[in-house]
Amino acid sequence: MASKIVNMVERMKDGQDRLLEAMFASKPIADDGFSALVVRRIRRKLLLRRLTLPIAALIGGLLAFKPVGGLLSIALRVLEQLPGEFVAATVAGLPTLQTVVTGGLILAAAVLSLSMLED
Amino acid sequence: MVPGDDKELVARVLSAQDTAAFGELIRRHQSHVRNFLRKLSGDFTLADDLAQDCFMHAWEKLHTYSGKGSFIGWLLKVAYTTFLQSKRKSKRYAEILEEAGNAAVAGERSSSAHFDEAGDLDRFLAVLTEEERAIMVMSYACGLSHREIGLSMAMPVGTVKSMIFRGKEKIRTNFGIQDRQHG
Repeated sequence: MASKIVNMVERMKDGQDRLLEAMFASKPIADDGFSALVVRRIRRKLLLRRLTLPIAALIGGLLAFKPVGGLLSIALRVLEQLPGEFVAATVAGLPTLQTVVTGGLILAAAVLSLSMLED
Repeated sequence: MVPGDDKELVARVLSAQDTAAFGELIRRHQSHVRNFLRKLSGDFTLADDLAQDCFMHAWEKLHTYSGKGSFIGWLLKVAYTTFLQSKRKSKRYAEILEEAGNAAVAGERSSSAHFDEAGDLDRFLAVLTEEERAIMVMSYACGLSHREIGLSMAMPVGTVKSMIFRGKEKIRTNFGIQDRQHG
Protein backbone atom coordinates (compact mmCIF):
# COMPACT_ATOMS: atom_id res chain seq x y z
CA MET A 1 0.00 0.00 0.00
CA ALA A 2 2.75 2.42 1.02
CA SER A 3 4.77 1.57 -2.07
CA LYS A 4 1.69 2.25 -4.26
CA ILE A 5 1.33 5.70 -2.73
CA VAL A 6 5.04 6.35 -3.27
CA ASN A 7 4.64 5.26 -6.93
CA MET A 8 1.67 7.63 -7.40
CA VAL A 9 3.61 10.50 -5.90
CA GLU A 10 6.57 9.65 -8.14
CA ARG A 11 4.31 9.64 -11.23
CA MET A 12 2.91 13.06 -10.28
CA LYS A 13 6.40 14.55 -10.31
CA ASP A 14 7.43 16.21 -13.52
CA GLY A 15 10.85 16.23 -15.12
CA GLN A 16 11.84 19.41 -13.35
CA ASP A 17 10.95 17.92 -9.96
CA ARG A 18 13.29 15.00 -10.62
CA LEU A 19 15.97 17.37 -11.87
CA LEU A 20 15.65 19.56 -8.77
CA GLU A 21 15.73 16.54 -6.47
CA ALA A 22 18.94 15.43 -8.16
CA MET A 23 20.37 18.94 -7.88
CA PHE A 24 19.43 19.35 -4.22
CA ALA A 25 20.52 15.85 -3.23
CA SER A 26 23.54 15.93 -0.99
CA LYS A 27 25.54 13.37 0.89
CA PRO A 28 24.81 13.09 4.62
CA ILE A 29 27.29 15.14 6.63
CA ALA A 30 29.25 13.11 9.18
CA ASP A 31 28.85 14.22 12.78
CA ASP A 32 32.64 14.42 13.40
CA GLY A 33 32.26 15.74 16.91
CA PHE A 34 29.66 18.38 15.97
CA SER A 35 27.02 17.13 18.41
CA ALA A 36 29.60 16.75 21.20
CA LEU A 37 30.71 20.34 20.61
CA VAL A 38 27.16 21.70 20.84
CA VAL A 39 26.39 19.61 23.95
CA ARG A 40 29.59 20.95 25.58
CA ARG A 41 28.45 24.52 24.80
CA ILE A 42 25.03 23.81 26.32
CA ARG A 43 26.53 22.26 29.48
CA ARG A 44 28.86 25.24 29.88
CA LYS A 45 25.90 27.60 29.52
CA LEU A 46 23.88 25.63 32.09
CA LEU A 47 26.79 25.66 34.54
CA LEU A 48 27.27 29.42 34.07
CA ARG A 49 23.56 29.99 34.64
CA ARG A 50 23.63 27.92 37.84
CA LEU A 51 26.69 29.76 39.12
CA THR A 52 25.50 33.24 38.16
CA LEU A 53 23.06 33.74 41.06
CA PRO A 54 25.36 32.62 43.92
CA ILE A 55 28.31 34.53 42.44
CA ALA A 56 26.20 37.66 41.95
CA ALA A 57 24.91 37.34 45.53
CA LEU A 58 28.47 36.96 46.84
CA ILE A 59 29.75 39.96 44.88
CA GLY A 60 26.70 42.01 45.88
CA GLY A 61 27.22 41.01 49.52
CA LEU A 62 30.89 41.98 49.42
CA LEU A 63 30.09 45.33 47.79
CA ALA A 64 27.27 46.02 50.24
CA PHE A 65 29.28 44.98 53.34
CA LYS A 66 31.16 48.26 53.80
CA PRO A 67 28.22 50.69 53.35
CA VAL A 68 25.94 48.47 55.49
CA GLY A 69 28.58 48.40 58.24
CA GLY A 70 28.82 52.21 58.02
CA LEU A 71 25.03 52.55 58.26
CA LEU A 72 24.92 50.30 61.33
CA SER A 73 27.60 52.32 63.13
CA ILE A 74 25.72 55.55 62.33
CA ALA A 75 22.49 53.99 63.63
CA LEU A 76 24.23 52.96 66.86
CA ARG A 77 25.59 56.46 67.33
CA VAL A 78 22.10 57.93 66.79
CA LEU A 79 20.64 55.45 69.32
CA GLU A 80 23.24 56.48 71.89
CA GLN A 81 22.23 60.11 71.50
CA LEU A 82 18.50 59.39 71.95
CA PRO A 83 17.02 59.92 75.42
CA GLY A 84 16.76 56.67 77.46
CA GLU A 85 13.00 56.95 77.99
CA PHE A 86 12.34 57.25 74.23
CA VAL A 87 14.35 54.07 73.50
CA ALA A 88 12.60 52.16 76.29
CA ALA A 89 9.16 53.22 74.97
CA THR A 90 10.07 52.18 71.41
CA VAL A 91 11.37 48.74 72.54
CA ALA A 92 8.18 48.20 74.55
CA GLY A 93 6.15 48.92 71.40
CA LEU A 94 7.94 46.19 69.38
CA PRO A 95 6.06 42.88 68.91
CA THR A 96 6.99 40.05 71.26
CA LEU A 97 8.82 36.92 70.06
CA GLN A 98 5.59 34.92 70.37
CA THR A 99 3.74 37.35 68.05
CA VAL A 100 6.56 37.20 65.48
CA VAL A 101 6.61 33.35 65.50
CA THR A 102 2.81 33.11 65.18
CA GLY A 103 2.79 35.61 62.32
CA GLY A 104 5.57 33.69 60.56
CA LEU A 105 3.68 30.42 60.89
CA ILE A 106 0.48 31.97 59.48
CA LEU A 107 2.44 33.42 56.56
CA ALA A 108 4.14 30.06 55.81
CA ALA A 109 0.78 28.26 55.92
CA ALA A 110 -0.71 30.82 53.51
CA VAL A 111 2.21 30.44 51.05
CA LEU A 112 1.97 26.63 51.22
CA SER A 113 -1.79 26.62 50.61
CA LEU A 114 -1.37 29.01 47.67
CA SER A 115 1.29 26.81 46.05
CA MET A 116 -0.91 23.73 46.60
CA LEU A 117 -3.85 25.54 44.98
CA GLU A 118 -1.63 26.48 42.01
CA ASP A 119 -0.57 22.81 41.58
CA MET B 1 23.43 5.91 23.06
CA VAL B 2 20.03 7.19 24.11
CA PRO B 3 17.17 5.19 22.58
CA GLY B 4 13.66 6.49 21.82
CA ASP B 5 11.89 8.47 19.12
CA ASP B 6 12.27 12.23 18.70
CA LYS B 7 9.23 13.15 20.77
CA GLU B 8 10.32 10.91 23.64
CA LEU B 9 13.76 12.53 23.61
CA VAL B 10 12.19 16.00 23.56
CA ALA B 11 10.09 15.04 26.59
CA ARG B 12 13.23 13.88 28.41
CA VAL B 13 15.03 17.13 27.66
CA LEU B 14 12.08 19.20 28.85
CA SER B 15 11.45 17.24 32.02
CA ALA B 16 15.02 16.83 33.24
CA GLN B 17 17.20 19.14 31.11
CA ASP B 18 18.78 15.92 29.81
CA THR B 19 21.74 17.05 27.69
CA ALA B 20 22.50 13.45 26.61
CA ALA B 21 19.00 13.16 25.09
CA PHE B 22 19.48 16.48 23.34
CA GLY B 23 22.87 15.25 22.08
CA GLU B 24 21.08 12.30 20.50
CA LEU B 25 18.62 14.67 18.80
CA ILE B 26 21.56 16.67 17.42
CA ARG B 27 23.28 13.50 16.14
CA ARG B 28 20.08 12.48 14.34
CA HIS B 29 19.38 15.80 12.65
CA GLN B 30 22.68 17.67 12.31
CA SER B 31 23.19 16.50 8.74
CA HIS B 32 19.82 17.86 7.52
CA VAL B 33 20.24 21.13 9.41
CA ARG B 34 23.80 21.69 8.19
CA ASN B 35 22.85 20.82 4.60
CA PHE B 36 19.85 23.17 4.78
CA LEU B 37 22.01 26.03 6.07
CA ARG B 38 24.81 25.31 3.59
CA LYS B 39 22.33 25.61 0.74
CA LEU B 40 20.78 28.77 2.15
CA SER B 41 24.05 30.57 2.89
CA GLY B 42 26.32 29.03 0.26
CA ASP B 43 29.16 29.09 2.80
CA PHE B 44 30.10 25.86 4.61
CA THR B 45 31.93 27.47 7.54
CA LEU B 46 29.22 30.05 8.14
CA ALA B 47 26.56 27.33 7.80
CA ASP B 48 28.24 25.16 10.45
CA ASP B 49 28.50 28.13 12.84
CA LEU B 50 24.82 28.86 12.22
CA ALA B 51 23.97 25.19 12.78
CA GLN B 52 25.63 25.39 16.22
CA ASP B 53 23.64 28.55 17.01
CA CYS B 54 20.50 26.88 15.70
CA PHE B 55 20.87 23.95 18.12
CA MET B 56 21.61 26.37 20.98
CA HIS B 57 18.40 28.27 20.13
CA ALA B 58 16.55 24.96 19.81
CA TRP B 59 17.70 24.05 23.36
CA GLU B 60 16.37 27.35 24.67
CA LYS B 61 13.09 27.24 22.72
CA LEU B 62 12.36 23.51 22.92
CA HIS B 63 9.28 24.14 25.10
CA THR B 64 7.67 25.86 22.09
CA TYR B 65 7.72 22.60 20.08
CA SER B 66 4.10 21.52 20.33
CA GLY B 67 4.62 18.00 18.97
CA LYS B 68 2.50 18.82 15.90
CA GLY B 69 4.47 17.86 12.81
CA SER B 70 7.92 16.37 12.68
CA PHE B 71 10.75 17.49 14.92
CA ILE B 72 13.01 18.08 11.91
CA GLY B 73 10.38 20.45 10.47
CA TRP B 74 10.43 22.49 13.69
CA LEU B 75 14.23 22.37 13.75
CA LEU B 76 14.46 23.69 10.18
CA LYS B 77 12.18 26.56 11.19
CA VAL B 78 14.62 27.41 14.00
CA ALA B 79 17.48 27.09 11.50
CA TYR B 80 15.75 29.46 9.07
CA THR B 81 15.10 32.01 11.83
CA THR B 82 18.74 31.74 12.94
CA PHE B 83 19.83 32.29 9.35
CA LEU B 84 17.64 35.38 8.96
CA GLN B 85 18.85 36.85 12.28
CA SER B 86 22.47 36.30 11.35
CA LYS B 87 21.87 37.79 7.91
CA ARG B 88 20.55 40.96 9.47
CA LYS B 89 23.59 41.25 11.68
CA SER B 90 26.36 40.00 9.45
CA LYS B 91 28.15 42.05 6.87
CA ARG B 92 29.87 38.89 5.78
CA TYR B 93 26.61 37.45 4.51
CA ALA B 94 26.07 40.54 2.35
CA GLU B 95 29.40 39.86 0.65
CA ILE B 96 28.49 36.22 -0.01
CA LEU B 97 25.09 37.21 -1.37
CA GLU B 98 26.75 39.72 -3.67
CA GLU B 99 29.03 37.00 -4.99
CA ALA B 100 26.07 34.64 -5.47
CA GLY B 101 24.19 37.41 -7.28
CA ASN B 102 27.10 37.90 -9.65
CA ALA B 103 27.23 34.16 -10.28
CA ALA B 104 23.52 34.18 -11.11
CA VAL B 105 23.98 37.01 -13.60
CA ALA B 106 26.80 35.06 -15.22
CA GLY B 107 24.57 31.99 -15.31
CA GLU B 108 21.75 33.83 -17.01
CA ARG B 109 24.02 34.63 -19.94
CA SER B 110 24.17 30.94 -20.77
CA SER B 111 20.92 29.72 -22.36
CA SER B 112 21.28 26.10 -21.28
CA ALA B 113 22.15 24.81 -17.82
CA HIS B 114 25.02 22.40 -17.27
CA PHE B 115 23.87 20.47 -14.25
CA ASP B 116 27.12 18.69 -13.56
CA GLU B 117 28.86 21.95 -12.65
CA ALA B 118 29.49 22.53 -8.94
CA GLY B 119 28.01 26.05 -8.78
CA ASP B 120 24.74 25.28 -10.61
CA LEU B 121 22.68 24.88 -7.46
CA ASP B 122 23.98 28.21 -6.13
CA ARG B 123 22.98 29.88 -9.40
CA PHE B 124 19.52 28.27 -9.24
CA LEU B 125 19.04 29.40 -5.66
CA ALA B 126 20.27 32.91 -6.35
CA VAL B 127 17.25 33.69 -8.58
CA LEU B 128 14.86 32.84 -5.73
CA THR B 129 13.78 34.99 -2.79
CA GLU B 130 14.98 33.83 0.64
CA GLU B 131 11.58 32.38 1.50
CA GLU B 132 11.32 30.52 -1.82
CA ARG B 133 14.87 29.25 -1.38
CA ALA B 134 14.14 27.93 2.13
CA ILE B 135 10.94 26.25 0.97
CA MET B 136 12.59 24.70 -2.09
CA VAL B 137 15.47 23.36 0.04
CA MET B 138 13.04 21.97 2.63
CA SER B 139 11.06 20.27 -0.12
CA TYR B 140 13.75 18.99 -2.48
CA ALA B 141 16.78 18.57 -0.21
CA CYS B 142 15.19 17.62 3.11
CA GLY B 143 12.18 15.77 1.67
CA LEU B 144 9.60 17.55 3.87
CA SER B 145 5.97 17.30 2.77
CA HIS B 146 4.05 20.48 1.86
CA ARG B 147 2.12 20.14 5.13
CA GLU B 148 5.33 19.91 7.17
CA ILE B 149 6.77 22.93 5.36
CA GLY B 150 3.55 24.83 6.04
CA LEU B 151 3.86 24.06 9.75
CA SER B 152 7.54 25.04 9.77
CA MET B 153 7.09 28.30 7.92
CA ALA B 154 3.74 29.11 9.57
CA MET B 155 1.92 29.39 6.24
CA PRO B 156 -1.00 27.56 4.63
CA VAL B 157 -0.25 24.51 2.45
CA GLY B 158 -1.69 26.36 -0.57
CA THR B 159 0.87 29.14 -0.15
CA VAL B 160 3.69 26.57 0.12
CA LYS B 161 2.52 24.93 -3.12
CA SER B 162 2.25 28.24 -4.96
CA MET B 163 5.71 29.32 -3.73
CA ILE B 164 7.23 26.06 -4.95
CA PHE B 165 5.46 26.51 -8.28
CA ARG B 166 6.72 30.09 -8.53
CA GLY B 167 10.25 28.99 -7.63
CA LYS B 168 10.20 26.31 -10.30
CA GLU B 169 8.89 28.82 -12.84
CA LYS B 170 11.72 31.24 -12.03
CA ILE B 171 14.32 28.49 -12.43
CA ARG B 172 12.66 27.32 -15.66
CA THR B 173 12.57 30.85 -17.12
CA ASN B 174 16.06 31.86 -16.01
CA PHE B 175 17.81 28.69 -17.09
CA GLY B 176 15.72 27.62 -20.08
CA ILE B 177 14.72 24.22 -18.67
CA GLN B 178 12.18 22.26 -20.69
CA ASP B 179 9.43 20.60 -18.68
CA ARG B 180 8.79 16.98 -19.59
CA GLN B 181 6.13 14.82 -17.97
CA HIS B 182 7.46 11.51 -16.68
CA GLY B 183 5.66 8.26 -15.82
